[in-house]
Amino acid sequence: MEYSAENLVPFGPVHPSLKEPEYFRLVLEGEKIVEVTPRIGYVHRGIERAAQDRTWVKNIYLFERICGICSFAHSLAYTEGVESLTEFEIPSRAKYIRLVIAELERIHSHLLWLGLIGYWTGFDSLFMWIWKDREHVLDLLEAITGNRVHKSYSTFGGVRKDLPPGIEAKLMEEMMFIRNRVTYYEQLVKSEETLIARTHGVGKISQETALRLSPVGPLLRCTGIARDIRSEDPYAAYGEIPPVVMTSTAGDIESLLTIRLAEVMDSCRMIVDAIRSMPSGPTKVPFPRIVPAGEAMYHVEAPRGELFYFIHSTGAAKPERVKIRTPTLANLLTAVEMLKGRPLADVPVVLTGMDPCFGCMDRVAVFDVDKSKEWYVTGEQLKKLGIEYYGKRERE
Amino acid sequence: MSDQELDSIATDLSGKVVKIKKSLLLIVDRSKVHEACERVYRLPGLYHLVTITGMDTGKSILLYYHFWKGKSFTTVSTEVPKSDPRLPSISDSVPAALLYEAEVKDMFGVTFEGNPRMASKLLLPDSYPLGAPPPLTKEADPEKIRKMMELE
Repeated sequence: MEYSAENLVPFGPVHPSLKEPEYFRLVLEGEKIVEVTPRIGYVHRGIERAAQDRTWVKNIYLFERICGICSFAHSLAYTEGVESLTEFEIPSRAKYIRLVIAELERIHSHLLWLGLIGYWTGFDSLFMWIWKDREHVLDLLEAITGNRVHKSYSTFGGVRKDLPPGIEAKLMEEMMFIRNRVTYYEQLVKSEETLIARTHGVGKISQETALRLSPVGPLLRCTGIARDIRSEDPYAAYGEIPPVVMTSTAGDIESLLTIRLAEVMDSCRMIVDAIRSMPSGPTKVPFPRIVPAGEAMYHVEAPRGELFYFIHSTGAAKPERVKIRTPTLANLLTAVEMLKGRPLADVPVVLTGMDPCFGCMDRVAVFDVDKSKEWYVTGEQLKKLGIEYYGKRERE
Repeated sequence: MSDQELDSIATDLSGKVVKIKKSLLLIVDRSKVHEACERVYRLPGLYHLVTITGMDTGKSILLYYHFWKGKSFTTVSTEVPKSDPRLPSISDSVPAALLYEAEVKDMFGVTFEGNPRMASKLLLPDSYPLGAPPPLTKEADPEKIRKMMELE
């Protein structure tokens, strides 16, 4: 269908509402959006191709840098995927610690997201308060793994180092704190009029749309379909500490708010359970340098949904093929459906509602003219980046 | 899904079923891949298309359509020669395949006939040189392509 130029509203690629460049071609009729064409690829870094030039261990550091928010989910899926190519038994303690870190990451990701919703609905105070509470979680992650974002914590055979002494008491204390704060935010979300107006009934999708378009994560669960990789296909210690799968039947952004907050509460419960029943023993077993030949398909429940890794090994020092499918790519078609029929003003809230992480989504091709000219993320560059980062932190 | 259900699909479409640990792999000819994917997707239970993976084996592009039911992966696999990289699109029966096929098209040059996104690029920049091989194939040399794009 032909539309005149007045109806076309380009949204992106560089837009104040987006943390990462994306381009959405919106066609309006009057005020309502009738057609949405997403165009992605602006943060392509060629990671799948770069992985073919790096050894197995170096790839851990590469893959965890696909995303800052769900960095541990990537490293967990990759390390456990490669471990599944062998017959090694990973020590129990390592599995429990992996669960603790994965759930801490889920808490920080969901709190970050809720802050963004507050921001885009003009509720700056909510944004500031939540991000301040989130600092408690990031401090815990730093105390355990040594870093807030790219933790490099999961490795082949277990985790890189054990929990520091005394951290268990601190974890219990902070989980209590997070639970109190989230209880307050849950009440806020139910009673604050601006939030309700901007999210109730907005971006409503039906269960049939979800079944048709295969979304993942909270976006799937908000339509009433109870699927969670942690309970369907347990990895790490989720077999012993299963999650409670949160669903809703409303299918709108408000239900996403309630689901994600409920998931944070459940994550707190899982961390407390894990600390209470943490087995003793080693945290790492020696792992062979050369990964045996074979194909592994592994998926984990990242904060945004199902993160899938396909690893093909020929027994060489470097992987033959690693294919990664991140949750935001799976959710993109559903997010487009959520936008149809909504007025233009809903675009930031609905797009944020699917919790997009375009940095996760745009991998593979390196030939991105919008980013810097350096294509290979060389060892030297990663090393320099690490030194600069810690240098800055020390000076602050 | 049970082995018998997949076995009967395999017999109908003259394919082969391979069991890898817990997951099942159904290998079919490229002409049968549309029907295979449709039948696997419509089996009772909640089938979910995880993604479509491409892999360059040297002479051909290997394609994996990963489906997840809730207990194990069921993958439909086929192969297209590099001399004729075309396949029918499955996006009419599995709408989620729309973007995954577009990604394989960008990265490997496989055309999925019937997919409306074949004309535009999903992930590659519009300035990607026309004569250059698709980026994830073995022929693609990043240095040469950068020179073609005048980035060096």
